[in-house]
Amino acid sequence: MTKQNPDVSRRRLFLGAGAVGAGALLAACTSNEAPPAVAQTKGADNTNPNAAAGKAVTIGFSAPAADHGWIAAITNNAKAQAAAYSDVTFKQVEAGKDAAAQRAALDTLIAEKPDVIVLLPHDGKELNAFGLKAMEAGIPVVNLDRAFPDALAYRLQIKGDNYGMGVAAGHYIGKTLKAKGVASPVIGEIAGMDELELTQERSQGFAAALKTYGFTVANRRAARFTADSGQKEAANMLQALPKIDAIWNHDDDQGIGVLAAITAASRSEFFMVGGAGSKKAIEDIAADKTVLKATVTYSPSMASSAISLARLLGQGRGMADLVELAVPKEIILASETITKENASSYLKLGF
Amino acid sequence: MSWWRDEAREPLRRNLGLVGVLLALFAIGAFIRPELYGDPKWVTNNVLVIMTQAAAVGVVAIGMTFVIIGGGIDLSVGALIALCGVWATTYATQSYGTVGMIFTALAVGIGAGAVNGLLVAYGKLVPFIATLAMLVAARGLAAQISGKQTQISNDAFINSIATTRILGIPMLVIMLLVVAALGWVLLNRTTFGRRTIAVGGNPEAARLAGINVRGHTLALYALSGLCAGIAAIMLTSLATSAQAAAADLYELDAIAAAIIGGTLLSGGRGTIVGSLLGVIVFSTITNLFAIANLPTEVQNMVKGAIIVTAVLVQQLRFDSVTKFARRHGLTRAGAPPEAAAATPAP
Amino acid sequence: MSELLMDAPASGAQEAGEVVLRLSGVVKTFPGVRALDGVELEVRAGEVHCLLGQNGAGKSTLIKVLAGVHRPDEGRVEWLGEQVSFGSPQAAMKAGIATIYQELDLVDYLSVAENVYLGHEPRSLGFVQKGTAARQTRELLGRLGHGEIPARRLVRSLPAAGKQIVSMARALSHEAKLIIMDEPSAVLAHDEVGNLFRIIRELTAQGIAVVYISHRLEEIREIGDRVTVLKDGRTSAVNLPARTTPTRDLVSRMTGRSIEYVFPPRAQQEPGEKEHGSSRPAAAQAAGQGTPHVPLLTVRGLGRTGEFADVDLDVRAGEIVGIAGLVGSGRSELLETVFGARTPDAGTVAVGGRPLPPGNVAAAVRAGLGMAPEERKSQALLLGEPIYRNMTLTTFSGFATAGFTDAGREQAEAMKIADLLELRPRDVRRAVRTLSGGNQQKVVVGRWLLGGTRLLLLDEPTRGVDVGARAELYQVIRGLADQGVGVLLVSSEVPEVLGLSDRVLVMREGRVVHTAPAEGLAEEDVLDLVMAGSLTATDERTEEQA
Repeated sequence: MTKQNPDVSRRRLFLGAGAVGAGALLAACTSNEAPPAVAQTKGADNTNPNAAAGKAVTIGFSAPAADHGWIAAITNNAKAQAAAYSDVTFKQVEAGKDAAAQRAALDTLIAEKPDVIVLLPHDGKELNAFGLKAMEAGIPVVNLDRAFPDALAYRLQIKGDNYGMGVAAGHYIGKTLKAKGVASPVIGEIAGMDELELTQERSQGFAAALKTYGFTVANRRAARFTADSGQKEAANMLQALPKIDAIWNHDDDQGIGVLAAITAASRSEFFMVGGAGSKKAIEDIAADKTVLKATVTYSPSMASSAISLARLLGQGRGMADLVELAVPKEIILASETITKENASSYLKLGF
Repeated sequence: MSWWRDEAREPLRRNLGLVGVLLALFAIGAFIRPELYGDPKWVTNNVLVIMTQAAAVGVVAIGMTFVIIGGGIDLSVGALIALCGVWATTYATQSYGTVGMIFTALAVGIGAGAVNGLLVAYGKLVPFIATLAMLVAARGLAAQISGKQTQISNDAFINSIATTRILGIPMLVIMLLVVAALGWVLLNRTTFGRRTIAVGGNPEAARLAGINVRGHTLALYALSGLCAGIAAIMLTSLATSAQAAAADLYELDAIAAAIIGGTLLSGGRGTIVGSLLGVIVFSTITNLFAIANLPTEVQNMVKGAIIVTAVLVQQLRFDSVTKFARRHGLTRAGAPPEAAAATPAP
Repeated sequence: MSELLMDAPASGAQEAGEVVLRLSGVVKTFPGVRALDGVELEVRAGEVHCLLGQNGAGKSTLIKVLAGVHRPDEGRVEWLGEQVSFGSPQAAMKAGIATIYQELDLVDYLSVAENVYLGHEPRSLGFVQKGTAARQTRELLGRLGHGEIPARRLVRSLPAAGKQIVSMARALSHEAKLIIMDEPSAVLAHDEVGNLFRIIRELTAQGIAVVYISHRLEEIREIGDRVTVLKDGRTSAVNLPARTTPTRDLVSRMTGRSIEYVFPPRAQQEPGEKEHGSSRPAAAQAAGQGTPHVPLLTVRGLGRTGEFADVDLDVRAGEIVGIAGLVGSGRSELLETVFGARTPDAGTVAVGGRPLPPGNVAAAVRAGLGMAPEERKSQALLLGEPIYRNMTLTTFSGFATAGFTDAGREQAEAMKIADLLELRPRDVRRAVRTLSGGNQQKVVVGRWLLGGTRLLLLDEPTRGVDVGARAELYQVIRGLADQGVGVLLVSSEVPEVLGLSDRVLVMREGRVVHTAPAEGLAEEDVLDLVMAGSLTATDERTEEQA
């Protein structure tokens, strides 16, 4: 420190450093480097004849810009799976904000003549025409999760089972409560965005499965797939139901907020089932320290599988374990139930 | 009676009206679920839950009240909450600890608010457009920073804010009341508040009185941004996480709360207490619908009806004034006809 | 009155058509004012009838009565031989009376044809016949000699002159038999006025009557057939021949108030030397500090493109300087520029010898300037706020401690001013909205008194103020000057400028055309300068003709 006029210089130094520091700190704070996201991939496995390198294949890929962990995981998984194959060139196009933007981006993709296109459409109905167009141009289309109404518009469809998710959650809750001997349980449901068809399907499956045990949903709130909306709906539901036996929350991302609300209200008389199968949820289930005891999957791992199958399509190969020489036309992933017992084996599939 | 009818008592009448609405909502609840509303302990707890849920929106509604009284509007507050929350919960920020996270949330809020203010005051953009652009951009930046993932807060202090109670009152409720009290003092007892009313009530008169209208406008948007930063901390604590899609449509809730609380959308008039009551009314409706197990879509319709009713009541008052003015030829900017200046002959 | 009623067009320029409109004894009162107090008017088919009168003489009210905006309280209005009373502008329009206001009432983002047929679109089965409207609009524009204006073009993209023609086409589309034009030349460039006159002549040739209002005497001479003069809401002359009546006669019928304003006496001392007196407020002493002969306000070469140019003026402490001029002469713009509310393109403003930064209101206020703007309600007041807060709008920061306002002290200070200005009512917590025009103006003036203002800029200080309150305001203004405050005053009313000021500047078309002590000036001369009637020149011409 210099001796001259310490008062002023020190203050200036402090202010200057403060301003510069603030800016630097803020800039540094956007970094999200560690720890790296682990993608769900299937590595090369020498015993699987499909793993052997084949003809070089270019796979075009498009999924909506995500504001949600699940869709982000879809893109990550597709990319990572493609990178695992030496014979696959991965070509991603931005899907933009809506169906129209995605259609425009895909048109340019067709012009580049990829061998296969893997596509998570904004809206299956709106992009049906694109599927037809690509198929006519001789490019097989793999539809991810959001079905085209027209069977000619895709070569392969791979999707999760929303109704099945509800059924799985309903059965888990029903069985557990029966085992506990609860006669007329109070069951809460925190759904996702109500305006989406998938939310309706999940709720229908849930209600149908509960019905087989003679149970009904006592209170149903619709959140917005975000943690803060989950928190809000859960806090109010806990007020509406002073005693609860079980809750199904459709989505593990909004479940973070639901759990926070439950913790804040110091409630623990019930157990909760999640949905989708996020990494955090699976960890919580394994640790068994919260009311979250299970989650039913709707795994974004389907994107990894879609890339693997697209590669086989491009190479004209079938699935090695099956008799057929070509890849099947439709694959619906079963919704699996993750509990403390099997959590460790699912941990790598969490997103 | 004349004391009661005086123009200066208008906010008081309106606020008592909102309290009446709250009591009516309570009565409806008691009618639907008498077993719950008969339990004083449950009722107390429910009031605190309602207030806790109102806390984050309430803080931005108070910032919004200042902006609207000052003649503007801020559509970006919801997006700013998301951006502040996401920025404050990155791995890098969390590595700086609690202070780093709080500093980041507040600094990002003030900074983004100041950008709004610059665009409006010096860039001469219409507030609606400038803050709409900020809404879109801030959500985009939040998605970019978060990599579209839900970011979990691992900070014990931040997470404990939502669960801490002081003398039985949740910390978030205390924060809301403190912000409201500070806002009330700022609006009613300081030169800043007086300038806000002048700038919003008649910007030309304020300018010709030597008030720095542009500088003050900038400060108002920065204040709104600061409130968004505070709300982001509250929401992060409540949800123990932050994400780019958080605080969806909070801007509309805050604007609606200010309006049913009596803040004039054209500026120059409004009260903090009214906005606070407005937020509590909305929070109570959400709570009541959960308790009655009615679906969200019905709840949104009721909210819409309440906003329209409040604005209609406001217009009825002004309509009578406008009609009077029109009948007397005072339509253009309130200027009297040339004839009014004529000298009558004896 | 008998001498006023010269009958029949003496000029005989055109053969007289039948009388289409006759007004007799029309009275219209507003709260506190008799705006029209017995107006006579007779308009014949195919003539251009000019309406002349000073600001406040009642011209605008008369137009609004004819256009169906106001209903007269007394008197008869005969239209095409029948007594009528129009309940709405639409009714007048339907009867064949169209009005073209100064601020053209067109919808910018509609096409020419859509504007022309706005409200009476040609329809079939409920659908607007766009093609028909466009074709008919083209015909109307052709009749006006402006077939080149595309019927489908957006009105927004037309110049002022073009918009005026669209307004006229709209009038024709209603098959108007009488078109009222309120200062149509005010928005036009000089060469466009000739075109306007050509159109007016074509209209009158088709038998349409035109009532033409203008402040410019030379226009009246060129286009008018007969002139009716209004003064103080009464007809002071009817049916004068427009071309041959001597200017002096016209001006004299516009001037000379039937009641005199009560003006306070002027100061006896020479302004600027009062600094040597003893019993003056601190503000005035500060104004004269050091250099007693430096004027309080010095303006040199001030100009703003398109508004005014090359203005030099001085205001000394204790002096009232009045600026006379028409709307559009640049007087209000000049005042606002001096105050820093507009940034000048050229020239300097100095207070007490120190130059002011251009376009900076805050600096002007700090230097001791205060302004009461023309539009009191939209430019000066917070109508819903209490009186005291309006009075302390420039000073509340000064009364505050550490940023906290002191409402008690503000009210006390405001109360002092309210007493000084005899504000009614005296309750400073009441909303300004509830005050009369005169008392609202006192609040604006009072605002600057609180701040210790040394130089007050007053733009139309008595607009919308009734007679009694005017006299009070004049007392207040003179009283301030007596205490050493400099006053720069703008008014459209010539008697006010002459009666109140020590010195008078006349502005016309953005330039100061005359400066003189108020006492030596006659109302007629100033009015003539203001209106560019060019008294001498016109008189020479009429004399020659005679």
